[in-house]
Amino acid sequence: MNILNIYPAYRSLLVIWVMAIKDIRSSLTERAFMVTSIIIPINFLLLFLLFALTGGQAPTAIVLEDKGPYAQQFLSAMEHSHSFIIQQTTNTDAQNLMKKGQIVAIVTVPGSFDSLLRQGKQAQLRVVLNNLEVDFTNDIRRAVPLAITSFYANAFPNQVVIRAHEVDTYSHDTGYVQYLVVSLMVVSVMLGGLLQAGSNAAREYEKGTIKELMLAPASLWAIQIGKILGALLLNSLSVVVMIIVIVFLIGVWPEHWDELFAFVLLLMITFVALGSLIGTLVRRRQAVIPLSIGLSIPVFFISGAFGPAIWGDQVTATITQLQPVYYGIAIFQHAFHNFTTTSTSPAINGFILAGFAAVIVAISALTLINGRGRGVVH
Amino acid sequence: MKQTENTGPAIELNRLTKRFGDFTAVDGFSLTVRSGEIFGLLGPNGSGKTTIINMISGLSKPTSGEAKVLGHNIIHDTRVVYAALGSVPQETALYEELDAWTNLSIHATLYGVHRSERDRKITDMLNLVQLYERRHSRVSSFSGGMKRRLALARALLHDPLLLYLDEPTLGVDVQSRRAIWNYILDLKKKEGKTVLLTTNYLEEANALCDRIAIIDHGKLVALGTPIDLKRRYGDTVMEIETASSVSPQLSAKLSILPGVSEVIQKDKILKVTMSGDELSLTGQLITLVTQEINIKKISQREPNLEEIFLSLTGSGLRD
Ligand SMILES: Nc1ncnc2c1ncn2[C@@H]1O[C@H](COP(=O)(O)OP(=O)(O)OP(=O)(O)O)[C@@H](O)[C@H]1O
Ligand SMILES: [Mg+2]
Repeated sequence: MNILNIYPAYRSLLVIWVMAIKDIRSSLTERAFMVTSIIIPINFLLLFLLFALTGGQAPTAIVLEDKGPYAQQFLSAMEHSHSFIIQQTTNTDAQNLMKKGQIVAIVTVPGSFDSLLRQGKQAQLRVVLNNLEVDFTNDIRRAVPLAITSFYANAFPNQVVIRAHEVDTYSHDTGYVQYLVVSLMVVSVMLGGLLQAGSNAAREYEKGTIKELMLAPASLWAIQIGKILGALLLNSLSVVVMIIVIVFLIGVWPEHWDELFAFVLLLMITFVALGSLIGTLVRRRQAVIPLSIGLSIPVFFISGAFGPAIWGDQVTATITQLQPVYYGIAIFQHAFHNFTTTSTSPAINGFILAGFAAVIVAISALTLINGRGRGVVH
Repeated sequence: MKQTENTGPAIELNRLTKRFGDFTAVDGFSLTVRSGEIFGLLGPNGSGKTTIINMISGLSKPTSGEAKVLGHNIIHDTRVVYAALGSVPQETALYEELDAWTNLSIHATLYGVHRSERDRKITDMLNLVQLYERRHSRVSSFSGGMKRRLALARALLHDPLLLYLDEPTLGVDVQSRRAIWNYILDLKKKEGKTVLLTTNYLEEANALCDRIAIIDHGKLVALGTPIDLKRRYGDTVMEIETASSVSPQLSAKLSILPGVSEVIQKDKILKVTMSGDELSLTGQLITLVTQEINIKKISQREPNLEEIFLSLTGSGLRD
C-alpha cells in the first residue's frame, strides 16, 4: 500500500479535519483561550457600548439662532439621538453654563440655517467643546454627526443614502445605541477572529511544532485551511455569545436572521483567515494580541461605526471602502435594521465580502507555503 | 513498502554553505551518504550539525551549494522527499497539550498512513518506545526522555526510507538508550533504511555508525568508518614490561621506526605510542625488544574516538 496512493482530495479533507480538531482541542486545554477568544471580544463590545452610553449623558446646550422648521427638526434629531441631555438656551446662558462646567458642549444652529438649506447650500453648525472632559468630548464628536445624519434622513428623505424602511422607525427607535451595537459586533467579530486564529498559528511557531507540519508530505493548503476551520469553529462560540448579548440583553432584534447568519459566517471566515495570516507572519502570540487590538480599533473608527462612513471626508471614505469592516458594518446594519448605509446593495456587499474572504484565505495559505523549503528556521 | 525507489546515494551535499550575517555556520560542506548506511555527524556544540540537518530537511535555505536527498532537489521536490523522510529534530516539538496517541494519530493523517494500518502502527510504535501504557496521558506530563522517545516513535510511524535523527538519545536514560540503539541498528539491518544522525556521544557514534564525519566550524574535518578514523588519527599505546631496563640504544632505535610517535622508558617499563593501529608495527616492536631482553608482560590500549575527536577539534569549550 503506497502511502501517496490515497485519493489526494480525500487525503486533503482528512488533513483539514484533523488540523481543525487538533487546534480546537489545543485551544480548549489552554486557560488563556477563554480570555483571549471569548472574553476580550465581548468585553470590547460591552465596554465600547458603556462608553457610548455615558456619552448619552453628556449635558449639551443648543442655541437656536434660527427658529425655522429645519432648525426645529435638527433640535428634535439631537433630542432623539440618545447621546445628549439637551438644554435649549441663549448664547450668553450657554457660555455661562460652560464656564461653570455644567455643560460639555454648545451646539449653535446659525441664523441662516433654514435659508441655506432651502437653497441647497452648506450650513455650518458651530460646536464648542469643553476639552477638559475628554471622554465626553469624544462622544460628542461622534454623536453630532449621527444626529446630523438622522436629521437629514427626516428632512431630506430623497437625498439621503440611508433610507430607513420607515423613516419614523429609524429616527425614533434606532438611536445611537442600536446603530452602534451592530457596528461594535462587527469589530468584535473581527477582534475575536484575529485573536483566535492568530494564536493558533503563532502557537505552532512558538512550540516548534511548525516543523512537523512543514516536514509533512501533506498539502499546506489543507493544513492552513484546517487551521482556519478550527479557529472558525472556536470563534463561533464567542460570536454566539455576542448575538445572545445583543439580541436578548440589549434587545436589538435582527430584521433578517438569514442575512445575519450568512454574513456573520463570511465575516468570521475573513477575519479568521486574516488572523492566521498575522499569526503566520509574526509567529508569537504576544505579538498577535496587540496587533489584533491595534488593527481592530482604527478600522472600527473609519468604517462607519457611528454613522455611515460615506458621510465622512473623502479620503477616509475612500480608504474605508478598501477593507472588509466597511462592508461588514453595512451588511449588519441591513440585517439588523434594514438600513442601507452604502451606495452598493446588500447583495453586492455580500459578494465583495466573500471576495475578501477568499483572497485572505488564499494569502494566508500562500504565506505558509512560502515558508516551506526555504526557511522556517531561517 | 518502498515509497521511492532509490538506488543512488541517499544524500548528496555539494559545497553546502549557510551564513547567518557574517557568520558562516556551514562552510562548503560536501558529503555523500550511501543508501542503507547509518551515518553519523559528529562535532562539538555549534559546529553546524543541526544547521546541516535543517538545510537538508528544507527547513532552512542554503546560502549556496546544493542538497540532493533520495535523488531529488529538496527545494523542488519537497513533498516527494518528505513522504520518504522521518525526522527527529533536536528540540523535541510535540503537541504537549494533547495525549501521546493523538500526537501519533495526527502525524499518521499528515503522512497519509491508511486508516486500516493506523491503529496497529501507532500501537507498535508506542510499544517500541515503551510508552503504550501512557498513550492517553498528556505529553506535557512526560519526562524529557519520554518526550524524546515519543518523537522517535512519531518519526518512524510512516515507515520512512530515510531518517534524520538530530541527537536521538539526548536526555534519554541508559536503558532506553540501549533500546533505541538496537532499534536503529535493526532499522538498517532488517529494513535497509538509511539513517543520518548527529550526536555528541562518541560511544553512540561508535556503536551505531557505519561511517562518521567529524565536523568543526562548519567544515568537514575527517570522514571514515570508526575503524578507519582510529587507524588514521588515533594513537595506540603499548606498554611493555621487561625483565630489566632496556638500553638507551634500543629506545632510540624504536623511536625512529615509522609510525612510532613517542617512546618513554621508565625503569623496566617501556611505553610506546604509535599512530594508528598497524598490527605489523606492533609485531616489529615486539621482535626488536625480544632480541635484546625478555618481555614479562605486554598491554595495549586501543585508540579511542574521544581522543581523536579532541585532537581534531581541540579541547576548548564551545558555545
Ligand atoms: N538562526 C540562526 N541565526 C544565527 N546563528 C545561528 C542560527 N542557527 C544557528 N546559528 C549558529 O550556527 C552555528 C551552528 O549551529 P548548530 O545549531 O548547527 O550547531 P550544532 O552543531 O547543532 O550544535 P549542538 O551540538 O549544540 O546542537 C552556531 O554557532 C549557532 O550559533
Ligand atoms: Mg544541534
